[in-house]
Amino acid sequence: MKTRYVFVFMLVGSTAWANSPQQILDLLVQEARQVQPGFTASATRGEQFYRAKHTGGKEADSCASCHTDNPKAEGKHIKTHKAIEPLAPSVNKQRFTDPAQVEKWFRRNCREVLGRVCTPQEKADFAAYVLSVK
Amino acid sequence: MGVNWRSVLLLIAAVVLVGAWIAQGQADNEVVFPMPPGPLYVKECGSCHTAYAPGLLPARSWQKLMHELDNHFGEDASLEEPERLAILRWLTDYAADGPNANMLMRRIANSIPRGAAPQRITETPLFKHQHDEVPAHIWKRAKIGSPANCGACHPRANEGRYPEREVRIPRQ
Repeated sequence: MKTRYVFVFMLVGSTAWANSPQQILDLLVQEARQVQPGFTASATRGEQFYRAKHTGGKEADSCASCHTDNPKAEGKHIKTHKAIEPLAPSVNKQRFTDPAQVEKWFRRNCREVLGRVCTPQEKADFAAYVLSVK
Repeated sequence: MGVNWRSVLLLIAAVVLVGAWIAQGQADNEVVFPMPPGPLYVKECGSCHTAYAPGLLPARSWQKLMHELDNHFGEDASLEEPERLAILRWLTDYAADGPNANMLMRRIANSIPRGAAPQRITETPLFKHQHDEVPAHIWKRAKIGSPANCGACHPRANEGRYPEREVRIPRQ
C-alpha cells in the first residue's frame, strides 16, 4: 500500500515539477549538445558572459546593465527605471519556471545586448551561473 | 387638500435619480481607468515599464504600437501572435476612444488631434496638464528617473489607478 502511494507521489511530482529551474537548465544543456556533442554547462563561463561588456547591441551592453552585478539584487530598467525583480531563483521563485518566458527573454535581451540571438551554449552557461548564485 | 402621493413619489424618484447622477459624475473626476482582466496584460506589458492603462491613448495609437513591437522605442518587445492579438483587442476595447470610455477617457480622446496617433503618453495634453506643477529635479530623483515610471509615484498604476490622493512622491 505504502509503495503504491510513493509511486503515485513520484508520478504527480514529476509532472508538477517539470518546470523547476534545474529542469530548464537541463533542457538548455540538451539543446547545446545538439550543436556541440558532449557539452557541459559552466557557471564560470556563464558569469563571465553575464558581466562582460558586449558589442553589437543597443543601449544596454551587459546583462548587468539592468540586472546589476548581483543576480540576487533587484535590477532597474535602464530607460524606464522600472524595478526588475531579482534574476536568481534562490531569491525569486518565479524565475526559470516557464520555458516560454525563458525563451522570450533570451530572444529580446540577447538582441538588445549583443545584437544577435545567443547560442545554445551561451544560454546554458548563463542559466548555470544564475542558478548557482545562492 | 389631500396629499398627492403620486407627486410625492415622483419627487422622491427624481431626487434619487439626480443624486445617483451626481455621484456618478464625482466618480468620473477620479483618475481611474478600466484595466484588461486577468494577469496576461500586466505580465506582458508591465515587465519593463508600468502596465499603462489603455485609456491613456486612443485606439489608433495602440494599433500602430502593436504593429511595431519588434522595434518598441528601440527595443525588441515582440510577442507570440496569440498574446499580441489578445492584448491588441483589450487595448482597443479599453482605449480612450473605445466603447468602455468614461468621462476622463473621452476628455483624453478629444484632446488629441484626429490625424495624430501619439506613441508617448507623456506627450498627450492631459498628461502635461496634470503634471505641469512637477519640477524637473523631482523627475530626476533616483526612485523616479523617468516620467514613464508611473508606479514610482502612483503605487497602484498597474491597476489603472492614478487618483491625486494616492500620489506618493519618493523623497530621493
